[in-house]
Amino acid sequence: MSTMTRKAPAGGRLVPARRRGLAARIWAERWSYVFLLPTVVLFGMYTIWPIVSGLYYSLLDWNGLGAERPFIGLANYREAFGDPLFWKSLGVTLLIIAVTVPLRVALSLLVALVLNNPRLPLAKLFRTALFVPVVTTTAIIGVVMGFIFDPAGGPVNQLLLDLGIVDQPVDFLGDPATSLWTVMGVHMWKWFGITLVYWLAALQTIPVTVYEAARTDGAGGWAALRYVTLPMLKPFLIIIALLTAIETMQIFDLVLTMTNGGPFFSTLTTEVYIYQQAFAGTTPRLGYGAALGVLFGVFTLVFAAIQAVGLRYANRVRSSS
Amino acid sequence: MTVLGRRRFLGLSGAALAGVLGASGCSRTSQQEAVTTAGADVIRWWDHFQPLKPLYERMFAEYGKAHPGTRVEHVVYNPSEMGQALQLAFKSNQIADVHTVAGLGSSEAALVAGGWFSPLADPDAIRAKLPADSLLEGLHVFDGKLYTFPVFTPRQYTTLTWINRELVEKAGGDPDAGPATWDEFRALAARITKDGGGRAYGWIQGLQFQERMQTHVTELAMSAGAAFAIIPGAGEMGLVDPRTGDYPYASEPFVQALEFLLSLVRDKVVFPASTSLDARTARARWATGVAGMFFDGSWNIGVVNGQFKQFAGKVGVGPVPSPDGEPVLYGAPAQGQLFVSSKSRHVEAASELLARCTGPEFSRALAGYMDQVPLDLEAVATADVHPTYKRAVELFGRNVRLAPSPVSRNPAVTQVISEMKEQRPTLGEITQGILSGEITDIGKSLREHNGKLTAERERATRVVSGKGVRVSLDDWAFPNWKRGEDYTAEMYRQ
Repeated sequence: MSTMTRKAPAGGRLVPARRRGLAARIWAERWSYVFLLPTVVLFGMYTIWPIVSGLYYSLLDWNGLGAERPFIGLANYREAFGDPLFWKSLGVTLLIIAVTVPLRVALSLLVALVLNNPRLPLAKLFRTALFVPVVTTTAIIGVVMGFIFDPAGGPVNQLLLDLGIVDQPVDFLGDPATSLWTVMGVHMWKWFGITLVYWLAALQTIPVTVYEAARTDGAGGWAALRYVTLPMLKPFLIIIALLTAIETMQIFDLVLTMTNGGPFFSTLTTEVYIYQQAFAGTTPRLGYGAALGVLFGVFTLVFAAIQAVGLRYANRVRSSS
Repeated sequence: MTVLGRRRFLGLSGAALAGVLGASGCSRTSQQEAVTTAGADVIRWWDHFQPLKPLYERMFAEYGKAHPGTRVEHVVYNPSEMGQALQLAFKSNQIADVHTVAGLGSSEAALVAGGWFSPLADPDAIRAKLPADSLLEGLHVFDGKLYTFPVFTPRQYTTLTWINRELVEKAGGDPDAGPATWDEFRALAARITKDGGGRAYGWIQGLQFQERMQTHVTELAMSAGAAFAIIPGAGEMGLVDPRTGDYPYASEPFVQALEFLLSLVRDKVVFPASTSLDARTARARWATGVAGMFFDGSWNIGVVNGQFKQFAGKVGVGPVPSPDGEPVLYGAPAQGQLFVSSKSRHVEAASELLARCTGPEFSRALAGYMDQVPLDLEAVATADVHPTYKRAVELFGRNVRLAPSPVSRNPAVTQVISEMKEQRPTLGEITQGILSGEITDIGKSLREHNGKLTAERERATRVVSGKGVRVSLDDWAFPNWKRGEDYTAEMYRQ
């Protein structure tokens, strides 16, 4: 409790802070509170208030505009639990996470290991090239990909036909069998660079001296990778995988512009379904959309909790190594 | 030199910010006051008819000349934003004197009951300029007072067969008439595809736009014998068999219509990228000559003429194809598009302005934009329009009958519609599933959908009745309806 005491005046006794009144303590720290105020106000306005109002809206039967918005308790949540499209969308979201996260994490690690080699020519150019899609507007990528995968003259199909790999154009985005995989591929390409940057940053934390020691002990390139690099990256793996998973859950703009959740729900992610219910349906249902949003928020929180546990584990492993 | 400390700097910055905010608040208030002051001479008009903007603005200019000192302030909204703008403006008493109701998601009856509109001044003058039977209680007239009137015709549909004359002629089809039957359509599409050699296909459609596909399926089902009573604006929830009041989606004409579309997919005559196109992009691709036929409404030629002028000379049009080549379709009673707000202080002037949207002269001018079809179909014959637009309107006059509407029998059915929740997959989504091969049993999926809609309507009727509203499933049936005939205003009273 050392932080709860203040320095005693010369020759005086230490006075525990908690004995002083709350008002006095606030007054004593008034400038701290004043400087905190903008953050508290902005955080309250743009984070706390939307969460609270979202929770409230989820208890209403409301289209989002009309004056009539009866309170219906948990009816929206009951409907969500029995809504096959909500579960379908959650399944699609989970499948995207399950497929793209391991692939993205593993592939970006491999590329990071290559690009981290100081003797590799044009390494900076490659890093930049891989990072460019990250800073490109997702909606634009979605629209452009529609042309790239166009079965009538799109460059991908043209290439496949020219190489004789297919004899009929493939309807990448219009066929339920291929649409989700195509979206996943584009999503991976779009965000590959950010995971790569995570790994490159992680690689910078390995001291050069450790490699020097390994070399002194006779370790070659492969042995250094296996016994130095990979073990020392292990703590980062959890964090990077979880960050990538949470990013992947936010795939809304890409899906909306590439397929709008179709064809026949094959790419219907939860975010797109929430949007359709809350804003884009024939009869918008903001209340129901808010309830779906709360449930999806809980789902995301579970991931965040895993992330927190993972982070603690990673720190422990790191400090022990 | 004075040194500005950190705290003093922050304090001064805060004061400056407060000053700026205060000043901007004052200027906003002043601006609002200016608008209000000028409001005595301004009639504000909001609609969502972007293509018709020049037509209305010409009308406003003429009105201004006839009424010096009065000006019409016209704002055209994006349809998707209009509902929100109207809600906010109505609540804050800033709504326009005249406005459309796009995006409000409520029936005219509910809005009248909610106090949104004023009855039109001098209704007799307006009635005199409208065709008989065009005004219905529950849609335009409430408690005997006229609130609105239709500007566009109910006799139209969206599944006209638009033709690339060159491709159709080359494949041996009739570019003036188009294929009349489903078999002819299918055979012609196959020949165009064969002749195209991978560069042109028989049929292109925006299959991703499932709401529009739902309309096409419904109209193809009508061409195969389905008939409807229709609640305008209620989508699939508002279409029922007029004889029984039951939902019709499990009936044979719907199965046949979907099988016809599926046969086109199986024949591989569909432009390959159709699955990723919506109506606009499909039209744009069609205009490049990649497909012979395209389903769309009469406005298609207006858009082609405006955006793809070099293609307009190659366009032909035919009726919706049907199994026997003699389609009969049913159109919902035309809704009123424009209303005078209850908050307006210029009801008489606004009503007079609205009255200018009636009569053959206005209909001819409206037809000139080749967008929505005017209420007076005969006016199109003498209008300066593309020949395909005239032919489309002729086909509408020949093939479309007036459907009965449960709303005109009992406006309370709109409360049932409001209470109903959309049943997904919708007919449009089912169509997408069938055409993409995800749904293989057409009959089963339609029966399930029909059952869900029926159960939902029963639930909604119970809820609304429970609130003391007099409404029942009997309101949806019209025993005096006769196949192939108009359902007239007189027949509601029988």
